[in-house]
Amino acid sequence: MYGKGLRALSISTAAVMTAALGLVFFYAPLEAEQGFLQKIFYVHVPLAIVSLCGFVAGGIMAIQHLRTRDPAWDMRSYVAIHMSLIFGVGTLITGSIWAKGSWGHWWVWNEPTLVSFLIVFLLYATYQPLRFAIEDPERQARYASVFAITAGAFVPLNFIAVRMSTAYVHPRVLGATSNLPGPMALTFVVALAGIALLYTTLFRYELTAKHARAQLRALRRRLAGDDALVSVSRRGRSAAPTTLHPAAMMTARGAGRDGL
Amino acid sequence: MAGVLAQLPALPLHEAGKYVAGAYVVLFALVLIYVAIMAIRLGRIERELGELLELSERTPVAAGVVGDADPARAEPPV
Repeated sequence: MYGKGLRALSISTAAVMTAALGLVFFYAPLEAEQGFLQKIFYVHVPLAIVSLCGFVAGGIMAIQHLRTRDPAWDMRSYVAIHMSLIFGVGTLITGSIWAKGSWGHWWVWNEPTLVSFLIVFLLYATYQPLRFAIEDPERQARYASVFAITAGAFVPLNFIAVRMSTAYVHPRVLGATSNLPGPMALTFVVALAGIALLYTTLFRYELTAKHARAQLRALRRRLAGDDALVSVSRRGRSAAPTTLHPAAMMTARGAGRDGL
Repeated sequence: MAGVLAQLPALPLHEAGKYVAGAYVVLFALVLIYVAIMAIRLGRIERELGELLELSERTPVAAGVVGDADPARAEPPV
């Protein structure tokens, strides 16, 4: 189900990423002030944008989960936030490298854009521990959705607040893309598309892998009966959401305990 | 091909080169680590499939039951 179209998506991601790299290194002109160092812009900024959009998307999927009570939406929200955290790590590392090359420091604490992104990242870093802290899968999914919606609303508010504050020396991108020379703007758009496609592909891979594993567990349960239920009960707590209806899962766990 | 490459501008790998290389290596490493994790997961799924195949061979009656499996109501992913 989730794997449909994954091959075409992977190929297009590879193609766009390759095109983006080609444009970055062989087409986009060198920036007057930063020179070659500015090439980091084409990886750092798209990573940040896609990561923040992923957090917001996770919140929207969480709204869908609360509306429909469909565990699949909880799973999507979980995976979206999980992938955004990975992209967030990439943003922070590439940002630090750029800061070191540009300002001579790995981190500048009085730069609002850097610190605000770190705050958002740390906020979402608590998402998995929150899930892990709640044993009941239904409550876990519900609380995680509320968290994802609240934090998802915080992301654009944080972004607007930072833009309204006085900027130090952090380059502005959104809203000023039109100020970029044509070749730079084109390269940036292609790089952004490439990173967005990479995010979508990895998101779909993750969903497919989790779904395949869930199918295997269902198959094992049907084949092995109580033995599999015992193995389910042995899993203990998990931060990962479930696509099984919570009531059915509780029954399974209860049966597992009886089996032991 | 060599002619095309000759037309391309040379990359200025001076002081900034190591920082730019570092940033792109980070992206590459992230993707590579993710692919490695996916490979481990795939191996685990393959192993479990093998176990299930063995199980189904040992219990032929269960074959009819398997047909009822509804993946949409499947159990928790890890």
